[in-house]
Amino acid sequence: MNGLTVLVQKEWREHTRNFKMLWIPLVFIIFGIMEPVTNHFLPEIMKSVGNMPEGAEFLWPELKGEEIFLSLLGQYQTIGILVIILAFMGTISGERKNGTATLLYVRPMSFLNYFLSKWIVVNGIVLGSVWLGFMAAWYYIEILFNHVDAGEIVAFVATYSLWLVFVVTVVLALSAWLPTGGAAGLAILITLVYQVIDSLIGTYWTVSPWKLSVYASYWFKADSELTNLWMSSGLTVILIVILIVFGVVMSKRNAAKTTV
Amino acid sequence: MSELANLPWNLIMPLIVLQFILMIVALVDVIRHKRTNGPFIMWIFIIVLGNLVGSILYFIFGRRQE
Repeated sequence: MNGLTVLVQKEWREHTRNFKMLWIPLVFIIFGIMEPVTNHFLPEIMKSVGNMPEGAEFLWPELKGEEIFLSLLGQYQTIGILVIILAFMGTISGERKNGTATLLYVRPMSFLNYFLSKWIVVNGIVLGSVWLGFMAAWYYIEILFNHVDAGEIVAFVATYSLWLVFVVTVVLALSAWLPTGGAAGLAILITLVYQVIDSLIGTYWTVSPWKLSVYASYWFKADSELTNLWMSSGLTVILIVILIVFGVVMSKRNAAKTTV
Repeated sequence: MSELANLPWNLIMPLIVLQFILMIVALVDVIRHKRTNGPFIMWIFIIVLGNLVGSILYFIFGRRQE
């Protein structure tokens, strides 16, 4: 376990120095604030800049706090995941390319620890950022909208967090397998593009990690059927473990490809 | 100008401050390192004019990982 601590410290220092520790949380917090504020002031914004004809009246739907959480989740699902993929696509492949890996691979280090250290730190940054973002949104929703039950929010964010861990694991495993560009492309295909396909044809296939973001919203509805949620969570955990094994094997196999 | 005064500045202020921090960090990083993909003057313009998106773009694509 000692090797793991050292590697985690190395990852932590690296991400502090390249500012990922700072800008990724900031981006998620900014989105978290922007969503409730723009939704609350949308009628006024439209009135002042929307170029509406004189005397036009629109009935704006009364938005509830829960719906703002869901629309924020929609933002994180597209822009947020894109940011995660692009920020961490080179975590392992980039190290192989710029030669840091050479310095690491000559040491007696287990590839499990190597992969896990990256997995732990990247997940820490991503989950921390998203939690801060949801907390900022929660604060604004309490002020501008209505009170949302804290237990529901925690369950909602926890379910969504599992999906994010899955995304991070996919990105890291692909980064261990392919060069940076290929890893990014395939990760976007798996997480973002497949989601569209899943929403089109996946009506009858109810157990899948891609459904987790949909199931997260079930916590806000009173009596939802939660069996599918638990089944999907279980499947996601299994897939995460498989992907970690895949990533460890691939980073070992590609160790020879590093630039010296 | 009266419309500006009516804005709920206490709500919008944190948003502006956070974007400003992000922009300053990106700018300081560009000016200190000057090692960017493409001319660094271009990145200064992208960060200043592009606001939130500009800073994100710089951190993802502009920053050369050494």
